[in-house]
Amino acid sequence: MTALAVSNIVLWLVVLGLLVVVLALTRQLGVLHERIAPVGALMLNRGLAVGEPAPVVEAADLQGRSVQIGAARTDGLSTLLLFVSPTCPVCESLLAVLKSSRRAEQSWLQIVLASDGDRATHQQFVRSHGLTDFPYVLSAPLGMSYQVSRLPFAALLDETGTLRARGLVNSREHLESLFEAKRLGVASLQEYFAARA
Amino acid sequence: MMVYDAGRMTKLMLDPAIGTLIVLCLALLFAGAGSHKLRDLPQFSAIFAAYELLPQLARPQLAVLVPLLECLLACGLLVRRTRTPAVVAAMLLLLGYAAAIGINLRRGRSDLACGCGGFDARRVIAPWMLWRNVLLVAVLGLVLLPWSARALEWLDAVTVGCGTVTCGLVYLCLDRLLGQSARSSALRIS
Repeated sequence: MTALAVSNIVLWLVVLGLLVVVLALTRQLGVLHERIAPVGALMLNRGLAVGEPAPVVEAADLQGRSVQIGAARTDGLSTLLLFVSPTCPVCESLLAVLKSSRRAEQSWLQIVLASDGDRATHQQFVRSHGLTDFPYVLSAPLGMSYQVSRLPFAALLDETGTLRARGLVNSREHLESLFEAKRLGVASLQEYFAARA
Repeated sequence: MMVYDAGRMTKLMLDPAIGTLIVLCLALLFAGAGSHKLRDLPQFSAIFAAYELLPQLARPQLAVLVPLLECLLACGLLVRRTRTPAVVAAMLLLLGYAAAIGINLRRGRSDLACGCGGFDARRVIAPWMLWRNVLLVAVLGLVLLPWSARALEWLDAVTVGCGTVTCGLVYLCLDRLLGQSARSSALRIS
């Protein structure tokens, strides 16, 4: 066997060894991709199913005017209904995210804040947190119709009044997961990843 | 890789070891793709129909013919006498696939399952698949060059054997990496 043949065989062995390492690395990369995948808003099993028409509820805003929530819209905008409370600390931490989302998504989305209880408390909450740009409705039946048990809870309705995504939102990532779920045509990001796992 | 004849008329020739390596790799690719499709024919039938390129009636029959043709091409590539027609047919088939993918991409249907017979059956079609097919056609085209008459020796067996395994592993790695990037790039979320 000549020196060239020996070096050829050794090189092949090295190449094959390296390729096995690369294959293991790509597999590891796949595992990492799954671990750091975005977390979707927590879906609760109870309540309306995604794809169902949302209930049309008459609610009153902070000025006492009647607002219809859940009906088909003529302006073509989708509605993000976010259930909040002035006593919920997570809701407060989410307000900055909401303000930036309102600006970023205003071409297709209107964010409506919803709650119930004493009007004066809510007016104070809106003033102190600079939420005057958001429609803010007070209605106990609205919360009950979506079976909201924990806050902050969000429901995304499309322009026809159909529920497109819903869930508990604690962060920007959770909130944006609802927008992504609507864009991808899935009920939740969890469903999206499960289908592609 | 190529033998360059001295003289006035320059003639490109393919070294038999390289030719055998290409033929083996492509035969493996077609055999793998065909057997994968045959294993889950109903799924491939559905994917094939979703391409919406042929009349409704012809779809079920052709969905069976495609994997059979791929397996036939794999065998044809390995036999010396049938190699040339098999190479031409394989090139046409790959170009056909590229056209089918290109037409559906132009229709804006980027969520269509590829049905390429890879490890991820739900892999969606993407522009890189067109370039992959063009590259495979170009590599197959090399086999149509006249092969030089060099006698193969034992070291060529090492080259062909290790080369085939290497190409297979590289294909596997690329397949995984592109699949992962397609999954994560579909999301705009940060």
